[in-house]
Formats: sequence, structure tokens, C-alpha cells
Amino acid sequence: MSFRLRLMLPLWVVFIASVGYPLLYALYLSLTNYKITARYDTKIVWLKQYKATLQDPNFWSSLQVTATFVILAVFIEFWLGLFISLALQKQKRIRNLTRSFLLTPMFVTPIAIGLMFRFLLNQQLGVIPTFLDKFGLSYDFFGPGKAIFSIVLIDVWQWTPFMVLLLLAGLEGLSKSPFEAAKVDGASAFFTFRKITLPMLMPVISVAVLIRSLDAMKVFEYVFAITRGGPAIETVTIQYYTYQTGIQFYKLGLASAMSYVLLIFVMIIVVFLFKRIEANRRNP
Amino acid sequence: MSTLKVINLRPSWTKVGNGLLVLMTLSVFLPFFWLTLGSFKTGAQLNNPRLLLFSPTLENWKEVLSSGVLDSAWRSAIVGLVTVSFSIIIGSMGAYAISRYKTGESATRFGILAAQVLPPAVLVFPFLEVSYQFRLNDTLFAVIISHLSFVLPVVTWFLIGFFDAAPKEVEEQALVDGLSKSQAFRKVVIPQVAPGIGAAAVFGFVLSWNDLFYALILAPGNSATLPVKIASFNTFRGVELGAMCAAILVAVVPVVIVSFFIQKRLVRGISGGAVKY
Amino acid sequence: MRKLSKVAQLVAISTAIAVVLSGCSSSSEETTTDTGSVSGTVRVLMEGVPDTDIVSRLLAEFNAEYPDVKVEIETASYDQMRDKYVASFTAAKPTYDLAILDNPWVGDFAKAGFVKPLDALIAATDGYDYEDFTAPLRAIGESDGQVYGVPFYNYALGLIYRSDLVTTEPATLDDLAATAKSLTTANRAGIAMQPQKGYKAFEEWGNYLFAAGGTLYTDGKVKLTTPEAKTALKTYISMYKSSAPKDSLNWGFDDALRSVSSDKSAMMVSYNWMLPTLNNPEGDSGALAGKFKLATMPGGKQVLGSWHWAIPTNSSASDAAWAFVSWISSKAGEAKRVTAGGAPTRTSVFNDAAVTAKDPAYFETISKILSNAEPLCQGSNCDEMINAVGTELNAAFAGKKSVDDALAAAEKQANKIQAEK
Repeated sequence: MSFRLRLMLPLWVVFIASVGYPLLYALYLSLTNYKITARYDTKIVWLKQYKATLQDPNFWSSLQVTATFVILAVFIEFWLGLFISLALQKQKRIRNLTRSFLLTPMFVTPIAIGLMFRFLLNQQLGVIPTFLDKFGLSYDFFGPGKAIFSIVLIDVWQWTPFMVLLLLAGLEGLSKSPFEAAKVDGASAFFTFRKITLPMLMPVISVAVLIRSLDAMKVFEYVFAITRGGPAIETVTIQYYTYQTGIQFYKLGLASAMSYVLLIFVMIIVVFLFKRIEANRRNP
Repeated sequence: MSTLKVINLRPSWTKVGNGLLVLMTLSVFLPFFWLTLGSFKTGAQLNNPRLLLFSPTLENWKEVLSSGVLDSAWRSAIVGLVTVSFSIIIGSMGAYAISRYKTGESATRFGILAAQVLPPAVLVFPFLEVSYQFRLNDTLFAVIISHLSFVLPVVTWFLIGFFDAAPKEVEEQALVDGLSKSQAFRKVVIPQVAPGIGAAAVFGFVLSWNDLFYALILAPGNSATLPVKIASFNTFRGVELGAMCAAILVAVVPVVIVSFFIQKRLVRGISGGAVKY
Repeated sequence: MRKLSKVAQLVAISTAIAVVLSGCSSSSEETTTDTGSVSGTVRVLMEGVPDTDIVSRLLAEFNAEYPDVKVEIETASYDQMRDKYVASFTAAKPTYDLAILDNPWVGDFAKAGFVKPLDALIAATDGYDYEDFTAPLRAIGESDGQVYGVPFYNYALGLIYRSDLVTTEPATLDDLAATAKSLTTANRAGIAMQPQKGYKAFEEWGNYLFAAGGTLYTDGKVKLTTPEAKTALKTYISMYKSSAPKDSLNWGFDDALRSVSSDKSAMMVSYNWMLPTLNNPEGDSGALAGKFKLATMPGGKQVLGSWHWAIPTNSSASDAAWAFVSWISSKAGEAKRVTAGGAPTRTSVFNDAAVTAKDPAYFETISKILSNAEPLCQGSNCDEMINAVGTELNAAFAGKKSVDDALAAAEKQANKIQAEK
């Protein structure tokens, strides 16, 4: 067997077993009316579940909630992470301590973070509203119109460190010469940032944003621990909705169809982005 | 004259940066401080958010340390280590092939993205069925296989970038010197990307360590991992806050200590290997 | 020739039937009351509630009568229980040989064939007296005319209030609203509510519906577009705005309980067996312990919840499981359990002075509650139905939907969901 095949084979085998098989099984389920409490009555219904999904207003709502969440959260995490990593780069003293401390939130399991914030932000029992109260401020963290932003806040608290990690690494890997040249030429910090740092960091930024976005789409634990999707359906994300449909309400066939519709949407977006990045790479 | 004006108007970016760091450190510190306080409070004391000075109780810690939280943390660690080891070994081989020879690149990249996008709620059922077939339900083995489904793709993705960034000249030199392709891979290329492999390993470990969903469905009982155990503090009496605070700290402290030592290498690893796409 | 073959056929068929029947009976449950011969290990998953602790403590007594039956109790939180059971029911080799089912699950599990009918077992057990269980509880455990679950303990809701703050128990829904408002001060809310979307919202509001004289089902279908439902919803919303803790729209059981036990709210609608927990001097209520009392909801009817013992179809120790169930849920077994603090399900227990002597007022209230209680959902797809109604209710609480729209939507969805197979 050729060298390259020997290299790829284990990956393909494990991939097919751990990723391919469930993907295909889920595809099969999406074409049936599979219900956990009626397993022996399973029939193939072809595209009926897909039709039901596309006609379900709650499905579209959950897509919209998820999209709002992802765009907001990743946007904030990116810029905040960028400034933090710039600051960390310039930091002279107690660098390692600060860095490892700032990274800790992402190492705590999300369900714990969700439960923790549920009590931190509770009007009667929470420290934060008590603190705000001192300034005469009162904010209903999980009220109508506000709950989704509080969930974004929690995600930002937990995952900005991830961005910091990647962006800091990217920054430290940049070659020094353009910066030195700029300094000699007397460029302002702002100019340096806009014209040199950002463009050079682009490859790192695109990977960081892509990975964080795909991960953010799967937000579940915060919703599960705090709002259970409320008020009404304001925080029902797609992951929470598929969990409810497939596991809580036993309708696994329908949930599988939802997942595949989601997959198709995301693939379209990702392929589009890929082509743009590819084009940028060829003509920088 | 005009220079003076410019200096006055322009803020010192270092000061702003340091201010931001202080702010961020505080915002990370405060919740953990609250957790620490809470772990020593009784239920009644926890209901009072203003309580800073109080007589501490060790009940929560006693309960947590005897409740199997440590065991479940140990199980989480095992799952994480095994998952990551497999992922690194298999992933680095595949990533090298994709990077150097472009074998099956688009298909693999597509597969990786698909694996990341599909919700666990849907993928968990096939795993459940298979684990019954092989009589592996409620074992760590089932959890490990399901974790591979999202750790292996991410690790492979990262590693492709690292291999892309490693200059080809070194391998070519090795081949010229008489090493076989596989020897060159093992003895020359791998050491080059070692920091990157370390970084990918830590990422993969964190992903596995934090997973609640698969572990909850596939190993909910005797093989519970740490997140499952922490989630179980949500009892009929409500969330056992004090004990949960202690449990979270038990989960976090070892990871923080380890990350302190690793983060130096982590940062260097990623930048050296380039998270370049 | 034909005649002979017909006879031959008959013989063949009867033989076949005889063989099958004998085969069946040899694999059917041993309903023997010869206690010594039943043996096996019975694994059951239970919630970490007081009644579970009580049951564990009674195991020693059980084993005195059934020395060869080993009962292994595993505990889990409510959220995790149902999925663990479903996983066990659908597996080739079961993880649990005995199950306890929450009332919304009974219909779905019975229809799915996850648990087996218990009628034959009940009939064969002397002195079991199934009719002794209160009627509403019996109805919950039955599906399509067969018994699938026998009552374990009830968790009907009631009004828990501070006896030092409330002098007269509210007799009508308006009284309740007025009392709550009058108790509201700057530092304390009149009533801690649980409007969290889904199960909690519906579970709490159901009591308000009953207090307003309404019902959930009419002629077998969900009907919420009634004047009583409208009154109940309007009252709930106005109480939330005026007498509930501020910004508590996503509050569930946990938040409300903490609020009440830390003197930040004066009342709450909650499970009747929470009373001992709140009055426990060593519990979280601190100085407030002993000051809590339980009342029926105004009007006397409340939401009923209950847990039932059921035997999984794929149980590997059915006989042993039934031995345990019949022992613990018998008259004697329940008397022991309730004396130790468990929540009652049998009428005879209320009339048993030995049991009720500890707190006659409490038992009288419970007896009243149980005689007039109704579960949130009957039939199939209950989890989904409760979630749908609870979501619409929460939308109304949040002011996102008008009262009429929310009730109409809830009714429509509930019926659609329950009509699905």
C-alpha cells in the first residue's frame, strides 16, 4: 500500500465509524416517521419530515434566534478578544499568570457556567442585580426581549478566552519587520493596526471565527440551565429545538430532518465563504 | 507647539490596554470568587447575596468529595486523554497526507464541517443503538467513540494548518539523506510540528472534558463523567448550590493549574505552526 | 377423507393451542403468595426525593418477608430520569427491572409497549385492594382500560403560606390576589410565582384555572377558550405584575423555594410535601422553620401529580419486581411509608388514626386535596402538550400575546398534539 494511503486509512476508518455512520443513520431517520415510543411502526415517508420542518414556524424562529446569537456573540468575542490579546502582547509584567487566569472560563463545563450565571443574575438572590441596585439600576436579565442578550453575555464570558488564545498566538507569530518599519516611518498606532496587523492576521482570524461560529451554533447548555427556551420561544436555539423534538417529544425522525435542513443551510454559507477566502488568498 | 497638543490628545495605548486587562481579570475573577464563597455557605446563607462575612461550613466540601465527583472527574480525564490520543495519532497522519499530497482533501474537509454542524441530539441515537448492539451501553467506551466524532475532526483541521506551515525543505533534505518517507514523517516532521500538536491536543481535551450531551445519554449511570455529575446537582429541592459550587471548583482547579503550565507552550505552538488556513 | 382431515385439523389445532398456552403459562408471572419462592435482583431508578429515602429505609423490613429479593435503588435528578428509562426500555438488555413513572409519561409508555399491564397481577394478589387508592390517582395509572402503574406517591399542589403573616386562608381566587397584594412590601413579595415557560408555567397556572372554577378537558378534548380560563389567566398576570418578585419571569421551582425560605416572599403554590422541608429546623429556612402552613387552593381543586410503580416489558425480574411493588404499595406498606413521612395515596391511610396522629390537620388537607385533583394531561404525547400550553401561557405572562390569543393557541396546539399518533 502506498505511503499516503497508509496515512489516510486510519483516519477514514475512524471517521466513517464515528462520524459517517451516525450521519448516514440520521439521514435514514430523516426519511422516516421514526418515533422512539413507536419504534416498530417505522415507515419510510420520504420528504414528508422535510416538508413539515420547512413549514414549521418554530423551526424558522429557532434558526433566527440561533443566527442572532451567533452573529452577536462571535462579533463581540472577536473584537474583545482582539483587544485583549493586543493588550496581553504588550504586557510586561506577570504575563503568564494573567494569561492562564484569563483563559480559565473556557475550561469549565458549560452547564456549570449556565447554572452559575442563573444564580448570579437572579433578581432576588444574585450578586449582580444587588450590585446594580446600588447605582439605582434595575435590569431584567431574563425578561422578554432581553433574555437572548443575557445568554450572549454568558457565552462571551466563557468563550472570549478561546479567541484570545488563537489571536494572541497569531499575533506572536507575525514577523516583526513590518512593524519596525512602520515605527520608523512614524505611523500611528491606529494606522499600524488597520493596515498592518489586521491584514496579516487575516488567516488566523478566519479560522478562529469559523470554528467559534460553528461551535456557537450548538449552544444548548445555557438555555437548558436557565431559560428552557423562554420567555415564550425567545431563546429556543436550533440545538435546543432539536433536543426537544427528538428526545423530549420522541420524534427523532422529524429532528433528523431538521438537522439536515440546518446542515444544508450552513454548508451553503460555508462554501460561499470558502470561495471568498480562497479568492482573497489568491489575490491578497 | 503642535507636537505637545498631539501628545496630550493621544491616549497611551499601553495604559488603555492595561486597564482593559484589569477589567477582564476582575470579570473573570468575580464569578470564581462567588463560587468559592458559595462553596462554604449553607443553603440559607446562599440566599443572601450581600453576605460576605459569615461562619463557613465544610458540609458542601464533605458532600462533594464523598459524592463521587472526584471519580467522575477522573473518568472525564480518561475519556479526554484517550479521545485526544487517538485523535492526535490518527489525525496527524491524515492531516499530513492531506497537507502534502492533498489526498481526499475536499471530501475530508466537508466531512469535518458536517460533523461540526449536525446537532448532537440527532447523532446520539445511532451511537446509543450501536452501544446496545455491542453491549457497551453505560460504559466509557461508548462515550469515547461519540467524543471522537467531534474531537477528531477539529484536531485534524488544526493539524492540516500546522503541516501546511512546516517548510517542506526539511523533509526533502531528510529524504535525500536516505530516510524513507515514513521515517521522515516520524523523525523529522512530527518534531517540527510538536508544539502545534500540543496545542491541538489541549483543545481536543477541553472539548471532550466539557461535553455534557453525549455523556448524559450514553453513560448516565455508573460511568458518569464530570459534567453529568455537576448537572445532577439540580435536584428536586432545586439546585444544591453550595455543593455545586464546590463541585465546579473541584473541576476547575486542576485544569487551571495544568493550563498555567501549558499555555506558554500553547501560544507558541499555535503561532509557530500557524493557525493559517 | 375430508371429514377425517377436519378432525385431524381440529386435533392439530387444539394441540397447538394447548402447547402454546402451556408455554405461555410457564413464562407468565408467578403470582404466588408463597413469599419464599420469589427471588431475583430488582433494579429501579428513583428521584432523589424524601419518599425515596423512606423507601430505602423500608427495604430491611421488606427483606424480612422476601429474603431472596434484592432491591437496588439508583437515584438521579428528574431531568435525567425519563431518558434513562427510555434508554433501558429500548435496549436488548434492560438496565432497570422496575420503574417509577411520572404521570405525563404513563400514556406514552403504555402505548409504546414499554411497560406491561398489571391487571392480572393485581387480581391475583390477595388483599391488595386496588380500589383503595383514590380515584384520580388510579385513573392516572390506567391507559385504554388497563392498569399500567399503581400509585407510589402523590405530589398534588397546594398553597404554602406563612402562618405568621396570613391569618385567613383565601377562599376565592380574588381573595388570593388580594392577600398576595396586601402582603407585598418593599422587601418581600406577596407570592413567589413560577412562570417559567413550559412545564412550570402550566403546572402553576392550572391551579389558578381550577380556582376560577374552570376545567382543562371538556368531552375528552382540551378546552381553554372558556371564561374561567380567561379570568384565571388575567388574574395570574395581574398578580405577577403586582405581587410577585420583580423580574421573575423565568423562575421555576428552585428560585421560588429559595425566595420563600429566605423571607423574600410570603407564599407560593407548590407541592404539598414541600411543607416538611420548609418547616425543618435544620433546613434552609433557618428562623422561619415551623411558620409555614399548607392550604388547598381557593375552590378546593388543584393540579395533581403522581408517581407510579410500573414493570418494564423487558424486565429481567418481573416476579421479584411485583413482589416488591405489591408489598410497598399494599395497605400495610403504605401505612409504614406514610408514618415515616411519605405522601399518601390510599383512602384507608387517611382513616388510619395511627398514621394521621402526627399531624391530623395536614392529613385532612391532603385528603381534601386528593379527592378533588386533576392532572395536567391525560392521554398521549403529554410531554409535548404540556410544553406547548406552557409556552403559550408564558407568552401571555410576558405580555407578548393577548390573553385570548394565548388561550386559543394553547387549546389548538394541545388538541393537535394529542391527536397525533
